[in-house]
Amino acid sequence: MTGIAAETGAPRSRRRRPFAVRGLLRGSVPYLLVAPVLLVIGAVLGYPLYKLVTLSFQQYGLPELIQRKGTWIGLDNYESVLRDEIFWDTLVRTIVFTAACVGLTIGVGTLLALLLVQVSPWVRVLLTGGLVFVWSMPPVVAVQVWYWMTNFENGVLNYVLTELGIGDYSQHDWYATTFSKLAMVTLLIVWGALPFVALTLYAGLSQVPRELVEAASIDGAGAWRTFRDVTFPVLRPILLILTSLSIIWDFGVFAQPYLLIGASQVNADNYLMGVYVYIEGYGHSDFGRGAAISLLMLLIVALLSVFYVRRMVKVEEAT
Amino acid sequence: MNVRHFAAAALVAALAVMAIGATGASGRSSADTLTVWLQVDAQSGWPDVVAAATAQFKSQNPGWDVDVQYQTWGTHLGKFDATLAGGNAPDVIEMGNTEMTKYMAAGAFQDLSGASFPNQSTWLEGLAASGRYLGKTYGVPYYAGSRVVTYRTDLFRQAGIKRLPTSLAQYTAAARKLGARNKAKNFSPVYIAGTDWYVAMSFVADFGGTIAVQNSKGGWVGTLDRPKALAGLAAFKKFFNAASRASKVTDEARPQPYDVYSRGGAASMIGPGWFSCCVGTHKAATGQFVMPSHTKGQPMPGFLGGSDLAVPIGADRDKAAAWIRAFTDNASMTALRAKGNIPNTTSMLGSSVNERAARRSWFVPTAKHWVSVENGNILRTMLARILTNKMTIKQAAEVASDNIAFTLNQR
Repeated sequence: MTGIAAETGAPRSRRRRPFAVRGLLRGSVPYLLVAPVLLVIGAVLGYPLYKLVTLSFQQYGLPELIQRKGTWIGLDNYESVLRDEIFWDTLVRTIVFTAACVGLTIGVGTLLALLLVQVSPWVRVLLTGGLVFVWSMPPVVAVQVWYWMTNFENGVLNYVLTELGIGDYSQHDWYATTFSKLAMVTLLIVWGALPFVALTLYAGLSQVPRELVEAASIDGAGAWRTFRDVTFPVLRPILLILTSLSIIWDFGVFAQPYLLIGASQVNADNYLMGVYVYIEGYGHSDFGRGAAISLLMLLIVALLSVFYVRRMVKVEEAT
Repeated sequence: MNVRHFAAAALVAALAVMAIGATGASGRSSADTLTVWLQVDAQSGWPDVVAAATAQFKSQNPGWDVDVQYQTWGTHLGKFDATLAGGNAPDVIEMGNTEMTKYMAAGAFQDLSGASFPNQSTWLEGLAASGRYLGKTYGVPYYAGSRVVTYRTDLFRQAGIKRLPTSLAQYTAAARKLGARNKAKNFSPVYIAGTDWYVAMSFVADFGGTIAVQNSKGGWVGTLDRPKALAGLAAFKKFFNAASRASKVTDEARPQPYDVYSRGGAASMIGPGWFSCCVGTHKAATGQFVMPSHTKGQPMPGFLGGSDLAVPIGADRDKAAAWIRAFTDNASMTALRAKGNIPNTTSMLGSSVNERAARRSWFVPTAKHWVSVENGNILRTMLARILTNKMTIKQAAEVASDNIAFTLNQR
């Protein structure tokens, strides 16, 4: 269009202006359409985030909370957090914990999805139903049920293990050590996250062209080879999203560790980031420091996700 | 496509944030409703007393309603902080006596010095002191509770224990007899949760130890690693190993000791006097005695727990005080005493087992940051380390002492 206008010469200058206005209008339409969403995001997420950032630069304890006025102290909160050994220990522990949770969730979720494809329809309905039940259970309820099953005094898990003759598990304390405490939390979280991952991947598996699988098996490829070279490439973008989401969820998880380990048992030996920020912010009524920790957490999760996404994208480009 | 996903995700996030906001702590509901936060102890133990106070308040203040919301000890301060920030704190709040100092120092409560309350001149001094700060009254004593031993008279008889123990050594011997007669692996002659620091610190106090003391400059020094406290901790460990089959890392709320007791898992338990309320079918065969000291004939010092009622800033002070008056009058106190509590006034003290146990008591250091020691689980962590042999008593006590001093001396 512009090319034609340029060739006709004289009318060009007269026609340019209305064109420009219309172009401007047309160009702004997408922005106008997005504007309400941006406004909502700005109001609902932006403002609290802004408050959080300003809070993190203030001395803001209980007296300040009541006065609703903090004292500006610059980077002091960040400095005290970054100098705190507990912060670094907690960070390392949380990263290992997140890696275990995400790895197990994605691994077992993939296996479950593959199983769903293989089984007969009615078993699939049963399995899917079970998964949806798990997914619909609120975390707080799930924690109560898990604690009840694994409790020390008369837990059903200890009873079953003992009755099966696996060993004497009566009065076995599943929460005795830091490792076993966190292992129980890991199991609970993986259990709760499996349905989402398994069902999403199952949906993804329906996108795998049947001909390709058949062709592969005719060419003599085994199950593993078919999965690696045919199924996996189709699932990769879904796995990418699921993994990123899982990292974000598991890194900041609070309800499960806090409730399962118990308010009276969480301490510097078993803090995860979510619990740490709660204790520092709420437990000690040091809200400025709590805000600083949450912003650091946000930064770390962003870094972890970016690192992971870039790696996956690179792998995708290379293949 | 991407934008659409993003927009959808943003919408979901926005909804989630709103949902979280909507389920947040509720505070004052309307102008003519008095919101009262009490602990669940009142809900399970004496709901009739609460109802009577509310009825009395309503008849004296026509048009007013009372919304009693029950809280749990573990979470009520976090919720209270949130309502303080939101400007919708309750009108009356029950505070543990160990929790008062921090909030009084921060200016969270209204001065009640001008108002008058029933039995004010004979308030239990220990409790009244926990509600005073810089000469002003911020907390009205609600009730106190000493800790006693609740025991199964039938099991004691079967084990051939003819006289109730009057020393720690006798109690330990009784526990051995009870254990020999009841061989189930999870049967506790004396149920004590491993990290029940109220019990453990009673042993420390019994041997003359303390948790922390203030030096001449006003700073706090942790004292659990001093010889007397160490002796107390050693005695606690010895007694626990001889008498309790509870988890070494659990606390006294998971499970509730009276739940273990009522299903036959314990011959006795150490805890608040009102534990006798919830013993199920063993009610007729349940008695109580004072926890004996290692010195024969003496009671072991018990933690004098208690609650105060305070009026947060922003509340209607006069109406709140009126409800508190109704809730702490003679009729209420008589009813609370009948439930095994210690009333807030010395004029009603008798010689019940609680009241005898209250004769020797200990209290936590009255430091502004004491609550952080509790919230940080410093003492519980120490006890778990000692009982599971993760550290020696001395090592664990040294670590705890350092942590306590650090926490109490914060700005």
